[in-house]
Amino acid sequence: MRQNNMVAMILAGGRGSRLYDLTNKVAKPAVYFGGKYRIIDFPLSNCANSGIDVVGVLTQYESVLLNSYVAKASLWGLDAKDSGIYVLPPREKIEGFGLYRGTADAITQNIDFIDYYDPETVLILSGDHIYKMDYSKMLDCHNDNKADATIAVLEVPLKEASRFGIMNTDATDRIVEFEEKPKQPKSNLASMGIYIFDWKKLRKALLDDVKNPDSNHDFGKDIIPGFLNGGLHLQAYRFKGYWKDVGTIDSLWESNMDLLYRSEELNLHDSAWKIYTEDVTVPAQFIGPKAHVSNAYINQGCVVNGTVKNSVLFTGVVVEEGAEVSDSVLMPYTVVKAGAKVQRILTDDHITIGVNQTVGQPDGEILLVAKNVKGD
Amino acid sequence: MINTLGIVSYDDFVEIPGLTDTRPVPSISFMGRYRLIDFVLSNMTNSGISNIQIYLKNKPRSVIEHVGTGRHYNINSKSGKLRILTGEVNAQAEVYHHDVSAYMANMQYIEDAHQEYVVIAPSYMIYKFDFNEALLAHKENKADVTVLYKTVDNADTSFARIDTLTIDKPRRVVAIDKNQGKFKNRHISLSSYIMSKEVFIHLVYLAHETSSLYTLRDILKDQLPLMNVMAYPVKGYVASINTMPEYYKVSMELTDYEMAKELFNPQWPIHTRTNDSAPTQYATEADVSGSVIANHCQIAGTVKHSVIGRDVVIGKGAVIEDSVILANVEVAENAVLKHVVVDKFARIVHKNELVGTPDRIIYVKRKDVI
Repeated sequence: MRQNNMVAMILAGGRGSRLYDLTNKVAKPAVYFGGKYRIIDFPLSNCANSGIDVVGVLTQYESVLLNSYVAKASLWGLDAKDSGIYVLPPREKIEGFGLYRGTADAITQNIDFIDYYDPETVLILSGDHIYKMDYSKMLDCHNDNKADATIAVLEVPLKEASRFGIMNTDATDRIVEFEEKPKQPKSNLASMGIYIFDWKKLRKALLDDVKNPDSNHDFGKDIIPGFLNGGLHLQAYRFKGYWKDVGTIDSLWESNMDLLYRSEELNLHDSAWKIYTEDVTVPAQFIGPKAHVSNAYINQGCVVNGTVKNSVLFTGVVVEEGAEVSDSVLMPYTVVKAGAKVQRILTDDHITIGVNQTVGQPDGEILLVAKNVKGD
Repeated sequence: MINTLGIVSYDDFVEIPGLTDTRPVPSISFMGRYRLIDFVLSNMTNSGISNIQIYLKNKPRSVIEHVGTGRHYNINSKSGKLRILTGEVNAQAEVYHHDVSAYMANMQYIEDAHQEYVVIAPSYMIYKFDFNEALLAHKENKADVTVLYKTVDNADTSFARIDTLTIDKPRRVVAIDKNQGKFKNRHISLSSYIMSKEVFIHLVYLAHETSSLYTLRDILKDQLPLMNVMAYPVKGYVASINTMPEYYKVSMELTDYEMAKELFNPQWPIHTRTNDSAPTQYATEADVSGSVIANHCQIAGTVKHSVIGRDVVIGKGAVIEDSVILANVEVAENAVLKHVVVDKFARIVHKNELVGTPDRIIYVKRKDVI
């Protein structure tokens, strides 16, 4: 039997173009994070840990890898009899083939999927945020307030509030106004892009939205304002904890570094809320006789015989003798050859830094290394 | 899929005081993230065997949990099968509990198997091998039984009490003896056998009728003059984890990546159950070298030439050298451990020095608080 009456839909179709070469071949949710994970492992693990059984993943941009990855539902334990992860890329229909024109349109085009499970509520998630959250608590808040929709919000510093969609609320945290990136924010409650909707009400709004020629078919721009204008009950759900949209190379690097410097907030060692991911069949890490390792986050399959500090090493990274790695994020199977020195870089997977090469600067922007660097 | 039933043999004679007090041999932790049984199971499934029986003497809990349905060893959950079978012998005396009595108790499941051949291999032998190779030779030689072996030059210091083979030309086995450690150069039997299911069943019945104390190895030894028993050499790294000194020595030896590479080949992955553990976190104060470290550890101390299991916490100023630390162990700040094997969930929190010698390893029991 299903554990609750909520279906989760993860929006995973975006490219994340500010990640440059990292998203040439894969969508942003499939980008690696934290030594062994992919970004989408976070919402998927949150779903699994929150007792959600049915998860739809809406893919569009470069979706082959992402589709085959999330289809292995057993990785997140979502392969029990009444549960599953369902990949929903755009499809050909009787009225023709249509790409998803916006976040809301992606859901509209899959109304049949959601109807099949006949849920009371639908949880809309983004596939490219790093955070740990118990959605069942948010559902309790939604039900307790008899809300038509509930939006998870994060308190951000007021001076940064103009970068976010801001919710203005009354004393009971009922949302009275929504402003997208306001110049003069009235509140510091930023939308996290996590929504719980009463399915019947959302379904109606989506069917109205699809007929509106002026709509962007977007949750933030169209559906939420539409709910507010229609006098429906929108509740804010305050989330406290680590949350980051890793949209740029700098923020992706920084978020990985948070595992070293803000491990109290982003703690992946908590056995009560594990983040699940594909487990690669590799041995434990070999830290060689010539190695010096300090302040580092290192995954299994690494072979380190050089110096590593202030860095995150993903599966199968090799740091040869005499090589030095500092303040860097090395994606899976990066090889730093003997004598090479890298500093403040973030590599794509399977990159080789050649013998005796120096890559990266002591300060300034993080350097993305997406091509092999030839050695001596 | 090859037409072969895999049998992970009954671990009747191996006992490693301490490590096997609370668990059977197959589930002994090894090299940070594995259990011994991962090697034999991976050899079998990588060879295309998808029907496997695991024979256990007692305390099956940890093995059942670890191997599950066998999905993580690549066994198809519909067309394949992983079975855990126990001795189920009523006899009180320990001497009657051995491989043959376990096979007799489960004969129905052996007879009912559709496969034409069987591969029988123990979990305490660590090696990487494609059984197809030996099966091919077995058929070409028209052998009744093929025994895997490794020619070693350290039988005086390793492989204690393991069978040795005397091999005639062309590789016919003429004698099986126990290694008494008197000679350096020996052909070490991997106690891994290939034979037709028919021959296997015949040998089990024969052993059972001969004596209630007889094992498969005993009857095979008896049958050497009557049967065509051939030896087949295994290349690469071979170790036997049948005593505490061997367990320790092999663990230490495999911290050398050049050595370990022979065993851990990406083309022949050793599968294991994932624990969904996070990467390991090294603090600024950490100083780690010459070691194999599993995931999910938090290390703030010094670790040299050691094997550290999953989810081990090592406090600031602690020093661990030449030691094997199993999963979920806590080593408090400033503790000093040398030549120690620490079993799971133990906590070294009060006493700050535990120093053994290479010949006298200190063993800390599971869940002990020291």
